[in-house]
Amino acid sequence: MTKEKKIANTEFGVDSRYSSKATKKIGGKDLMESRLERMKDLTPDQILRAKLIQLKLRMADYLLKPIYKKHNYFTEFLSNYIDAIYDKRNKFAEDVNISPVKLSQIINNHREPQEEFFLRLMVHSELTFKNICKFDKSCWYQVYFHEKICDTISSQDKWRPNVEKNVKTRHLISV
Amino acid sequence: MQVLEVSTRKRLQVEILPLESSDYKTITKKRYYFNWKEEKDYEVYKLQLIDSKEILGIVSIERIPEEWRIHIRLLTVSAENKGKEKIYDHIIGNLITHTAKIAIKEYAELACVSLKPKSKIAQHYIDKYGMNITGATLSIELNEILNLIESYDHD
Repeated sequence: MTKEKKIANTEFGVDSRYSSKATKKIGGKDLMESRLERMKDLTPDQILRAKLIQLKLRMADYLLKPIYKKHNYFTEFLSNYIDAIYDKRNKFAEDVNISPVKLSQIINNHREPQEEFFLRLMVHSELTFKNICKFDKSCWYQVYFHEKICDTISSQDKWRPNVEKNVKTRHLISV
Repeated sequence: MQVLEVSTRKRLQVEILPLESSDYKTITKKRYYFNWKEEKDYEVYKLQLIDSKEILGIVSIERIPEEWRIHIRLLTVSAENKGKEKIYDHIIGNLITHTAKIAIKEYAELACVSLKPKSKIAQHYIDKYGMNITGATLSIELNEILNLIESYDHD
């Protein structure tokens, strides 16, 4: 068989399952040793790229499914974004021209982000991701409102009784 | 993500989605080379054409969080896409990239995807995807993962 034919035939299937837990453990241990060596050669630029791609993928994942769990996803993603790029959050505040106090209040959920903040964040992330990967800058807004929707739906038991008192319908369509 | 139609050199959009239980009826051993029912307890993904929903390739993976690693268990293309007469190219590359994206989403700079192919085809994976070799295990780590994402991920 020629080398070319050999290669053409290789790409159809790989059975890569471990034959036993012991093989898996030994394979993993040896691999880890080699990986730790190679990790020493990672550059700060590669690490930053990894963190930002991770953030992008996590935001995309979050937007794909409704998560009815009380959790501050927007501010978690925002702090991940800032911490990946800056050693101090104040530097980000300076770069988007807002006060460090205001930024801290947003991150700690003591203040709602206003449109002005979103616009600056979108432009900042657009510039940051420019040479890394495609990034839809509007996903900051999407994450924020997705979280609001999920929170609202998941807390229906609390707000619904009061709201229902104020809502009437005309039953225009008979069943 | 895209595959290349070999005869026309046209790029076609594909999607990679979790395999659904109804898919097991159609993914026969004859066409997809393995008994995929054995993988029901694992994460299994299918690569399909967006337009026709035809499944061109499948991968099953195992997450090993304590090692920041995802191990590819089974990986295949459909029978028509094997060898020199294949209809579409880049199926395997897309499936490995999809796995690499899961790894980076989970473990960021520590991410690793491993594979343990038979020795005769290992060299092919080393050459084509820049895999590292450790004993019988091949792996891609951050450097290779970033290259793969750049080459294959158009999303």
